[in-house]
Amino acid sequence: MIGKLAWKNIWFKPLNTILSILLLTASVAIITVLILVEKQFEEKYQSNLDGVDLVLGAQGSPLQLVLSSVYQVDDPTGNISFDSVKVWMNHPYVKKAIPLAYGDNYVGFKIVGTTPDYIEKYQAKIAEGKVFEHNFEVVVGADVAEKLKLKLGDRFKGTHGSAAEGEVHEHGEYIIVGIASKTGKVIDNLILSNIPTVWQMHHEEGHEEVAENPAHGEPGHVHHEGEEVAGNPAHGEEGHVHHEHENDMTIDEPNMEITSVLIEFKNKMGVFMWPTLIAQNTKMQAALPTYQMNRVFDMFGVGINALKYLAFGIMLISGISIFIALFNTLKERKAEFALMRVNGAKRHQLLLVVLLESMMLCFVGYLFGTILGRIGIVLLSEASESDFKLGFDPMEIIWNKEGLLFGLTLLVGLIAALIPAIKAYTLNISKTLANA
Amino acid sequence: MISTKNITFSYNKDQTFIMPDLYCEAGSTILVTGNSGKGKTTYLHILAGLLQPKSGEIHIDKKEITHLKGSKADKFRGKNIGVVFQKSHFIASLSVLENLEMASWLATGKKHKARAKELLQKLDISEQAHKLPSQLSVGQQQRVSIARALMNEPKVLLADEPTSSLDDKNADNVIELLENLSKEYKTALIIVTHDSRIKQKFTNQITMV
Repeated sequence: MIGKLAWKNIWFKPLNTILSILLLTASVAIITVLILVEKQFEEKYQSNLDGVDLVLGAQGSPLQLVLSSVYQVDDPTGNISFDSVKVWMNHPYVKKAIPLAYGDNYVGFKIVGTTPDYIEKYQAKIAEGKVFEHNFEVVVGADVAEKLKLKLGDRFKGTHGSAAEGEVHEHGEYIIVGIASKTGKVIDNLILSNIPTVWQMHHEEGHEEVAENPAHGEPGHVHHEGEEVAGNPAHGEEGHVHHEHENDMTIDEPNMEITSVLIEFKNKMGVFMWPTLIAQNTKMQAALPTYQMNRVFDMFGVGINALKYLAFGIMLISGISIFIALFNTLKERKAEFALMRVNGAKRHQLLLVVLLESMMLCFVGYLFGTILGRIGIVLLSEASESDFKLGFDPMEIIWNKEGLLFGLTLLVGLIAALIPAIKAYTLNISKTLANA
Repeated sequence: MISTKNITFSYNKDQTFIMPDLYCEAGSTILVTGNSGKGKTTYLHILAGLLQPKSGEIHIDKKEITHLKGSKADKFRGKNIGVVFQKSHFIASLSVLENLEMASWLATGKKHKARAKELLQKLDISEQAHKLPSQLSVGQQQRVSIARALMNEPKVLLADEPTSSLDDKNADNVIELLENLSKEYKTALIIVTHDSRIKQKFTNQITMV
């Protein structure tokens, strides 16, 4: 009955109520989004870092190198000589070195030349088919396969660069030999091949530089092909995939370039020694992903904290709004309370009515806020999914932090109602009724 | 029935009210009259247990009530004393019927919906049962107040200037209702008033000086 009365009282002044609930909803929604995004973001970024102690790549921004090599979100800093980086990959400190070569994409999904170690690093399994072995064989990530409805044996042509709108490579067709299992990490959104595939696909561009090298003189890029076919009837009827197969490049090709190398150390001293060592002795740079990502989080942290303060500010205002609403109506309701006392209501029952009203408001505000926040995450997730291939799960409940937020919301309600409730508790019935 | 003996009351040291003794049988009526400022309402509040007298005794149904404190006093008041005020007060957010049910629930923990409906019927306002009190006319509101005061079958019904804000016709109606209902429910009725329209109707009067 007391609860029912409190509930009816709330909706007797709907405008006051809606204002308070709106403010609460806004602040709870913002905080919920921040809690979920912050945690899931850090989790995702952390899980991708497993097994990467250091990234070797071209000189430039170390953050850009980490973002492009580990998270696949930025453009690479440039290329490095595979011959010179090989020395470092075979260094006794190194436990595992995974080379990466970028070049193409297929409708926006990056095609990355690497070794099967890369798949292993992300604890992905080959769900269907097998690992790439020969040139132009690819393994597609789980999300790529799902979104593009790709299956084993499918063939496709790559587009140069990282944008889907780039120039299409007419001369090479990839064939899907494997589909990776879902990991929730960046690999889900990648198409993986071996390194020579990338080289061979881009040999066209490299052609001029290595023109003096007779070993490279012949094999196929589009412009040459026509001429060659004309001059060499033996190749006449062959499809160009086949044609290229005969002239496959291998990993041992000299004078080639790759984009970067992910290093895991046996001896963790490398983490401290390599950055200087690499900078002094090579034209490359060594970036520490943990350090770089901590910098990113520090930068984000400022923004996240600002948003948090804003949200708590709104919550404070909503508390004040509840207080003012209760305090104002208390004047009108004094007679009502006195009457309830005449009817046999005990002091603490009046206290309870006022507290319940405020806390019910806060409960409703929290409920709406947590729902609105999750709707916000769905929208945010759609945007970040297309921009960064990074999705957020709106259904995750982070019990300790969200529980704390719930408690805080109720506490705001309690504090806002405290003074009006005490006034109701200590109400002088006789005086109120005599003056009414 | 209700009886008082040697009640005194003071708001401060300088002024002490000496309240006349009264005795009222179940089913009968006493009118307490007197000019403004003579402590009529104070007396009524003392009888209702809303104010603590400085000295004296009040017996309601052979129970001495001036010693009841806190929630015991609240409970006793809710169960045994019905009060009708000059101006009707209601819980604004609850309907007429819910107001009656609340009065019953606060005193006894039960809603007694059937009784509430019966009382509304008797007072000819059952059509207003689901309206908010503010939507009723003053006369109707006063009748709802009476119904609410009778919800818990009180031993004593106290009425504080029940007619002062009503026109002649409504005033007559209300007085008639109060008298009839107190007889029917065997309730001692004490009306505090300075309304001369009522004075001539009752022989049993106490005047405060």
